[in-house]
Amino acid sequence: MNRRVKNNLFLAVCWSAAILCTLILSFLLSVIILNGAKTINPDFLLSNSRNFGAEGGIFYQMIGSVLLISGAAFISLPIAIGTALCKSEYVKNPVLQKISNMMIYGLNGIPSVIFGIFGLIFFVNFLNTGISWFVGSIILAIMIIPTIVLSSYQSMSSIPRMYRESAYALGMDKWKVITKVILPQGIQGAITGLFLGLARAVGETAPVMFIATAFSGVKLPGSLFQPVTALPTHILTLAQQATNTQALQNAWGASLVLILVFFIFSLSALFIRITLQPVSQR
Amino acid sequence: MSAYISKVGKGYIIISTLISMIIILLILGVLFLSSYDAIHGGGWRLFTLTWNPPNNQFGILPMLYGSLVVTVISLVIAVPLGIFTAIFTSEILHPKYRIYVKSFLELLAGIPSIIYGLIGVAFFSVWVGELFHLQSGRTIFTAAVLLSIMILPTIITLCDDAIHHVPQKYREVAKGLGLYKHEVIITSVLPIAKTDIIGAVLLALGRALGETMAVMLVIGSIDKIPTPIYNLLAPGQTITSKLGREIAESAFSSIHFSAMVFMGMILLIIVLALTFIAQQFLKSGQRLYE
Repeated sequence: MNRRVKNNLFLAVCWSAAILCTLILSFLLSVIILNGAKTINPDFLLSNSRNFGAEGGIFYQMIGSVLLISGAAFISLPIAIGTALCKSEYVKNPVLQKISNMMIYGLNGIPSVIFGIFGLIFFVNFLNTGISWFVGSIILAIMIIPTIVLSSYQSMSSIPRMYRESAYALGMDKWKVITKVILPQGIQGAITGLFLGLARAVGETAPVMFIATAFSGVKLPGSLFQPVTALPTHILTLAQQATNTQALQNAWGASLVLILVFFIFSLSALFIRITLQPVSQR
Repeated sequence: MSAYISKVGKGYIIISTLISMIIILLILGVLFLSSYDAIHGGGWRLFTLTWNPPNNQFGILPMLYGSLVVTVISLVIAVPLGIFTAIFTSEILHPKYRIYVKSFLELLAGIPSIIYGLIGVAFFSVWVGELFHLQSGRTIFTAAVLLSIMILPTIITLCDDAIHHVPQKYREVAKGLGLYKHEVIITSVLPIAKTDIIGAVLLALGRALGETMAVMLVIGSIDKIPTPIYNLLAPGQTITSKLGREIAESAFSSIHFSAMVFMGMILLIIVLALTFIAQQFLKSGQRLYE
């Protein structure tokens, strides 16, 4: 076989791999969109689910998901920003930096079902909170902290040293420098990370299914320590009764809503990264 | 006043850092304490073939086998496909379109796994059942195929980064020697990108091992190693699907619960080790040609 044939063969293999991947991935998207679009209408979005989700809509499931991720956002953002500030402004020792990186990458790599078990043991049983949406928010917050920390740290550490030195030269103390210089410049990284994290959190099923959600029949939670219903666990219930066509149809509708929410968060993260560029990088 | 605020601020930063550092240790500690009963009471009997809680038999080998086989097969499918596609997007496709392809892939990489599970239940398990004339299409093979599709976008985008980061001068020199495109890629680009590609594959391996929802819906959930051992068209069980199905049913602080947590801990240790090794590969890859 001469070299020209080999070259063509290699290119052909690459082309066919790419075409196969495109086919598979566009099959996935079109299945969700086509099947989901048949189900979604205002009535489906605004009515309560009946008969274990097989009939009716997904209104309370959407409310539940919104509650879960907004709780997660409020808990994770301050902790993650503090951690990123500490990494970029206080820790100078390379060993400590390395250790903290290991902790953060490790936390990022933990399988989601492990978070669920941890929440079940530590919160639901040990702290005796019972199955509650607030615990679900805490667990989701823990899951997305690494994303926010890494993203904010990246934007904070890319602020030129000159900015900090000029601020110190004006007689500001460290905290003033942080609030007046570092935070305004670094906040876009934090918000980007937050949206990326929320995009991941909204679809997570395994961490919340033991600790935060009841499968059906729950409406609005009356306090912090009551269960909700959420979109991903709702899809799980419906997928388990996949022989029932009506249930399957509702599952496609819920999936399309979930994936749209996911796309909205991901695209806003992209948009914020592009538009809110800090002064130092314009 | 300003000094006071400064102190409060410093306190806030230190406390939040401590919280995010301690969480991972807390998770490890809690899992270890909860699985202590099983380790103490079961010992080596945990590594046997029968899982039967009413008889106090907690052998986790079927689940370990399931996790291993599902992950290995999904990588065997996804890695070659992913690497060839990554070569296409970074070397053959016009650079103008690369940014669109990449954003599309990164979007796909984050699609919630429950949605893959739904697609698996509604299509893949039906197809596998009809194709091989099985009673139920929920088999180890179905789970592996579904998982390979799930990790495909991750592998493509990480490998594409790895190949794209190889400096242009290596390609130019190789081309200048009169090499064909495939020779340029095989002899100079891939060897330089190798460490990053290994890191990418290890990250994908960790993700595949820890994947729960999609696998749980299509694997069939039978706690047995199929007979014969290489029969992939039989239902099986992975660690994650076992945990997802059964942990809510086992009574807290029973030995059953403890054995489940022990499985979770094994999974966590494997995945953490993979994550750290992958980080080493990804970093050393950057140093190679800086």
